[in-house]
Amino acid sequence: MALKHRTKPSGAPVRRLRKTKFQADLAPADDRLVRALKEELQLSSNSDFLSDALTLFHWAVSERKLGHRIISENPRGDRMVLFFPRLERVAPDLSLPRVEIQWTERELESLAELASRPNANPPTEVLVRAMRD
Amino acid sequence: MAIVIRRLEERDAVESFDCGDESLNRYLKRHAWVNQAKSSIGVTYVAIDESAPGSVIGYFTLAMASVPRDSFPRKAVRGLPPYDLPLVLLARLAVDHRFARRGLGHALISEVFRISLRSAAEIGSRFIVTDACRDRIGWYARYGFEPIEGSAEGATTRMFLDIRTIRAAVEAGKGGS
Repeated sequence: MALKHRTKPSGAPVRRLRKTKFQADLAPADDRLVRALKEELQLSSNSDFLSDALTLFHWAVSERKLGHRIISENPRGDRMVLFFPRLERVAPDLSLPRVEIQWTERELESLAELASRPNANPPTEVLVRAMRD
Repeated sequence: MAIVIRRLEERDAVESFDCGDESLNRYLKRHAWVNQAKSSIGVTYVAIDESAPGSVIGYFTLAMASVPRDSFPRKAVRGLPPYDLPLVLLARLAVDHRFARRGLGHALISEVFRISLRSAAEIGSRFIVTDACRDRIGWYARYGFEPIEGSAEGATTRMFLDIRTIRAAVEAGKGGS
């Protein structure tokens, strides 16, 4: 990668960007994981590791912010959706607004009956298909 | 036809949407974006045909609600948890008539279920409620929605689906049954 340096006009004050130190206490298992990942990814420094991890995390956060789901797919086409609770906090689909609904007394009685069943109804075939599709 | 379902965006082309029901058309064209972006009254998800990006061919609107425990008739509260009951309100669901009978409604309601499951896992909700048009009751019943008795006389019937039933459907789907 070629780095281009932009020179300031003479006389202008030179501002250096300060790098921030990032220090973390890792549990032994996490430390082993970091070392293994660095080796697998052929990363030589912790800074490079952190920079790559940050890029990936930033991408994941921005995807969930857009409401996109993050999916892995194996060669057979089986899909798994990433469910990472911290990411779900930024997902817009969970920020559903709250509204009020008007109920009649008979509706509330009927609703109480439906909602207080110890066991929910088994799913219909169409519902199972909807969740599988 | 490749379909994408995502949240409504301001630039989406909604003007040509026609599901045959003027109130549902008008909601999408005039109110959905404002309600989502400014008033926080409901979030609208749209189905977009990838071959004509930006053109909305179906949509649904969701919101959260709850039923205060003290609003239930005293004799009906036995068996209910001692809290208000949180729920997902499926406020609207419509498909453009030019794309009817192609499984788009199925795709939309599948997404409703997935969002409801995630909401239940993250912030808690017990069931989904929708006000179904009389001629759509059978369609919702195929997914397990049950009528809530006592709806005021009108064009719609309030219907109920337990989140536990949707969870069971996910498990059943994993088992390949």
